Amino acid sequence: MLSSIQSHIPSWTVFFQAFIALVIPILIYRVYVRLDNLGEDKLSSSGSANIESSRDPLVADYDDNMQLIKSRIGANSDVVIREVTVGGVVKAALIYVKGMQEDHLLNMRIIQSLKEMDAQIPEQIMERFPGSSAHAVSSATEFSQGILIGFMALIIDGRKEGLLITPPQCPSREVSEPVSESLLRGSRIGFTEDLSINTALLRKQGLSEDLQIRSCLVGQTIQRELAIAYMDHIVNPDLLREVNDRVAQIKLDYIAESGYIEQFIEDNYLSPFQQVQNTERPDRVIAALLEGRVAILLDGTPFALIVPVTFSMLLQSPEDYFERWLPGTLLRMLRFGAAFISLMAPSLYISFISFHPGLIPTELALTIIETRQGVPFPALIEVLILEISIEILREAGIRLPKPIGPAMGIVGGLVIGEAAVQAGIVSPFLVIVVAATAISSFSIPVYSAGITLRILRFAAMLFAAILGMYGTILFFLLIVCHLSKLKSFGVPYISPFTPYRWSDWKDFFVRVPIFLMKKRPKLMKTMQSKRK
Amino acid sequence: MAVSKSFLGPNDKITTSQAAIFLNNAMLGAGILTLPRSVSESVKTPDSWISVLVGGLIAILVVVLMLKLSLRFPGKTVFQYTSAVIGRYPGMIWCLILVFYYIVIAGFEIRAMAEVTMYYLLEGTPIWAITIPFIWLGAYLVIGGIDAIARVSQIVFPISLCILILSYLLSLRLFELDNLRPILGDGLGPVIHGLKSTVLVYSGCEVVMTLTAQLENPKQALKAVLTGVGIPIGLYLFTVIMVIGGVSVDSAVTSTWPTIDLVRSFEVTGFLFERFEFLLMVIWLMQMFCNYSCFFYNSSLGLSQLFKLPYKAVIFALVPVIFLVTMIPQNMNELFGLGDAIGYLSILLFLLFPVFLSLLALMRFGGGGGARHEKS
Amino acid sequence: MRSLKAASILFMALSLLTLPGCWSSNEIEDLAIYSGVAIDEGDLSEVERGLEEKGGSYSKQNKITATVQIVPLKAGTKDEVKGKTSPYTNISGAGDSLLEIFRQFSLRLNKPIIGHHLKIIVISSQLLKERNIKQVADFMLRDNDIRPNVKIFVSQGEAMQILTTKLPDEVPSFFINDIVKNQFRSSKIMDPVQMTNLDALMYSKQSFILQTIVQAKRQLAFSGAGIIKGETGKWIGHLTEEDVECINWLTNASSSGIIKANNEEGDSIAYEVKGMKTRIRVHTEQDGRLIFQVRVESKGRISEDWSVEGNPSLSSYQKEAEKLFEQKLSMMMDHLLASMQDRYKVDVAKFCEIVRIQKPQLWKKVKSNWDETFSESTVNLDIHVNVTDYGSTTK
Repeated sequence: MLSSIQSHIPSWTVFFQAFIALVIPILIYRVYVRLDNLGEDKLSSSGSANIESSRDPLVADYDDNMQLIKSRIGANSDVVIREVTVGGVVKAALIYVKGMQEDHLLNMRIIQSLKEMDAQIPEQIMERFPGSSAHAVSSATEFSQGILIGFMALIIDGRKEGLLITPPQCPSREVSEPVSESLLRGSRIGFTEDLSINTALLRKQGLSEDLQIRSCLVGQTIQRELAIAYMDHIVNPDLLREVNDRVAQIKLDYIAESGYIEQFIEDNYLSPFQQVQNTERPDRVIAALLEGRVAILLDGTPFALIVPVTFSMLLQSPEDYFERWLPGTLLRMLRFGAAFISLMAPSLYISFISFHPGLIPTELALTIIETRQGVPFPALIEVLILEISIEILREAGIRLPKPIGPAMGIVGGLVIGEAAVQAGIVSPFLVIVVAATAISSFSIPVYSAGITLRILRFAAMLFAAILGMYGTILFFLLIVCHLSKLKSFGVPYISPFTPYRWSDWKDFFVRVPIFLMKKRPKLMKTMQSKRK
Repeated sequence: MAVSKSFLGPNDKITTSQAAIFLNNAMLGAGILTLPRSVSESVKTPDSWISVLVGGLIAILVVVLMLKLSLRFPGKTVFQYTSAVIGRYPGMIWCLILVFYYIVIAGFEIRAMAEVTMYYLLEGTPIWAITIPFIWLGAYLVIGGIDAIARVSQIVFPISLCILILSYLLSLRLFELDNLRPILGDGLGPVIHGLKSTVLVYSGCEVVMTLTAQLENPKQALKAVLTGVGIPIGLYLFTVIMVIGGVSVDSAVTSTWPTIDLVRSFEVTGFLFERFEFLLMVIWLMQMFCNYSCFFYNSSLGLSQLFKLPYKAVIFALVPVIFLVTMIPQNMNELFGLGDAIGYLSILLFLLFPVFLSLLALMRFGGGGGARHEKS
Repeated sequence: MRSLKAASILFMALSLLTLPGCWSSNEIEDLAIYSGVAIDEGDLSEVERGLEEKGGSYSKQNKITATVQIVPLKAGTKDEVKGKTSPYTNISGAGDSLLEIFRQFSLRLNKPIIGHHLKIIVISSQLLKERNIKQVADFMLRDNDIRPNVKIFVSQGEAMQILTTKLPDEVPSFFINDIVKNQFRSSKIMDPVQMTNLDALMYSKQSFILQTIVQAKRQLAFSGAGIIKGETGKWIGHLTEEDVECINWLTNASSSGIIKANNEEGDSIAYEVKGMKTRIRVHTEQDGRLIFQVRVESKGRISEDWSVEGNPSLSSYQKEAEKLFEQKLSMMMDHLLASMQDRYKVDVAKFCEIVRIQKPQLWKKVKSNWDETFSESTVNLDIHVNVTDYGSTTK
């Protein structure tokens, strides 16, 4: 009895392995916790505390006011100060930024009317100005900011306030087709850089009193307008509160693009998966709002953010709904397949070629052996060579001006591939695999999701190179585990896959006919469950 | 209509479907690869499938009993209520045995997985290189709590079910009804004899006793549990029928991994994967991962609840323990011996214990209202 | 800083763990795939004899000779190989254990051989006369590379010769593997015995048959089957092609094939089987002997008729023809039964299954010496041939 127990006590190497097995996860965990804590800080540490806008009211005296304004912004070469006299008596000045007030006719009329105005009725002066957005401000800070944003401003002697009369008419891009998400069928309108145009585009999607757009300013040094859009009576109030909280916590001196916001409000910054979706398409935003999601729009960028995001959204395209349900379903399943190929194909190739020759059909095995004769590298190196050159090629293709891009694709793809095979560096079979992988990753409708898969593909290749098929499975399980723990604004990332909610599955792998999709996604816990 | 739940609240409750799949995954493990052999060895006639069926019915009974017992203590796991029923120290000892059992069964599953992998996929790779990443991955998942495990199970299970059924359907070309005949040629004797080895594959159903505490909707617990037990019974039955029908009792007895051998016995020419055993093994790896995670979770939950230890620390501490358990069997025979031992322990502890505990609970707290008494 | 330190320790530990990785990695082109194995009596090949003269040997008794067929061994692009060299290479070695012989090949080849793609095993009947098939095939059964669906054949003459058959641009092992697929055209090809079957058959000690391959002038053909006696596992005799055909029909393994008979004038008339169904019932007599009632029903057409006078469209002529075919078929069956019951005293037509299913209690008793019981039992044949049509011409 005792001896049999003794014989079963593992040797010291096993104990050492057990020790390693204990230590490494703890190390990983500690590193993770540290990194995570770094992430916790991101919401509070950077930037100084909110500058309390010092109450520096405008005074009644014209010269004092002018002094104040000039000291604040007058040194700028693009600030134009034009002094006029109202009715020939009262001193006044029009201030604006060059390039923001291009309508010369309007300017002339304003000056004209100022000159002709009766100096005695300054109280009703506002009503006389054309344009709807004329308003008065009393704080000098606000006033000068208004000028810098692009308003044409007016100060009149004897008034304790400045007038912002015509809104900015700064040059903006025409509304055009969204470049990153082009469709064959569906509206060709994409967002532009102007927030007011973007919100207008949202409104133009259809009439609804429920569509709420709330805006606030973000950024500490340079402020920008940010709008949060949602559907009242549909969105879950908890979600809305959470979004508002997170946006309010952003502390950054300047927010250049909605990507900044994305990185601030996402749940887990260590995850390779994006937890916020970006889109250029108003129709996509509206569809998301109707599902109970919240959209964040930022001035100065055509990319709106949608939260929360689930994994399935990354593989959906508006076209799925515009086409009839059968093609829509087919295309969607195709995309799921493509995502799988683009993630796994190279690692499967490695595990088959270097680990499991017995699992390939005999005839295929013979063909591969024939084509791989003379390839000097192991499968991993071979795949890496080709994959990395494809990635470089792709990156280069984006930077190149449009007319050259396709030409480079041809040169890079065809010539290099063919030459590499001829030179015996890679096998033709691999070229097929890599090409299929690349093409598959193009078919993913959300560009940033495609990038995620590209990163993960390399990780998968490493796993496969160490443990073959077993490694690939471990990698797949790792991804699944990670996804099932990941949440985007409290919504589990892989829902609606699990827990099973059949009503949500109607719009997951398949896209059932629209008349069957009567309910809003349950996972969003919307206020109205029925689509009215 | 109205929002019932907090949107961002911690999610440690699972839905009915998740509970069903969780239970299902706790029972579907390495058993499916060896069951046809172990049951044929003891039955020796083609009637093994009857044994599987009868064993399944027994398992259902036991599980329902455990469920009824656990439902008397809403929101409490077996680790929390046992002491209330049989006293603090006996309860403690009992729960420790339970934790030990879960750890051993987790180690067994990993070892079986490693043996299959080393034999068919990675000849020459040291065993620690196979088991340690697997254990780590499990720890990563288990830290996420029951919700994460249930989610992963729900992703993995449909895939493995599809592949399993597909493999079996493809093996229909080998299926001969004659291999399953005659039915009850030797009477009921062999069937009863085989019950012993079939009950073994249903070990794992004990997770019901912790599962019930985490149900979002305890009213549907019975439904969840019956589905969760029903699926593995169906799959085991299907497996035994297909394997015996496909390769005959004689071949099933001589093969170490009869289910894999069944799938290895045919080639689907002209298909990308001519060889389905590859798909089957790959998928079954994932299934075994879920299976092992269930036990890992239960043992760490048990320890942390018993001794009021932080959950994450327990998980880390259990990683080397599970690894050592994995390495204890020195060869295949010992591994299968360990499997049998687990089965017997399971019969001993979990057939008798719930009965005993239920009776005791009935005596102490009267019918039905046990928990309310407890609280007051 | 501490997190940085931890991260660097972690990185080092992980790289230490992963650097010696890729344990099982082996590029596919560095492996030699063998697709066929032939096993003969131990006899040194010329190469080996030459090697041994130079001292290249180890301690062995040369119990068997194993030949493996490696595809494709030659390096180089397709065009170079085609035509000039054969698409396969055979290498043989003598020794006492298959595994040892296979490992010995590692001394003679630049690549390790792997058995994942093994398709067929040919064993010479000479070897099986002396050795139990279990001994010979044991390695294949245990090996994890070799799939259980490998087909097993016996050869008349040297098995090695079967694998060296000269076929233009064809690998003999694939060639043989493909012949099996012609089963739907000829009922003389039996269901191949696969490794899984072999495993079960040897465990239950049943007698069985293995398809025989013969070879002449470097051409090969399937012809009949060799009988392996269950108890000894040895080859005891040969069944003709017609016998195999009859076994196929008796066990319902095949419902195709042709029956050719000669009429009174000696003209050939051929019947193409469209359907063949056999039902067997078993009874016991008082003295314990078994009686098998075999009822064979067949439907088919007259596909070839040499007789100048006969008119196959006439039902009277059809009746006559049916008689002819029935006679012919029962002659063939009788020949088979005579071979099985009198000559070799084995049951290879799965009569045991009938007993096992229909009389499970009885089966337990007779299981141990089934072959003898079967040879003493009576088999009553009841054959019905039904000509249903006569092709696209009436005359």
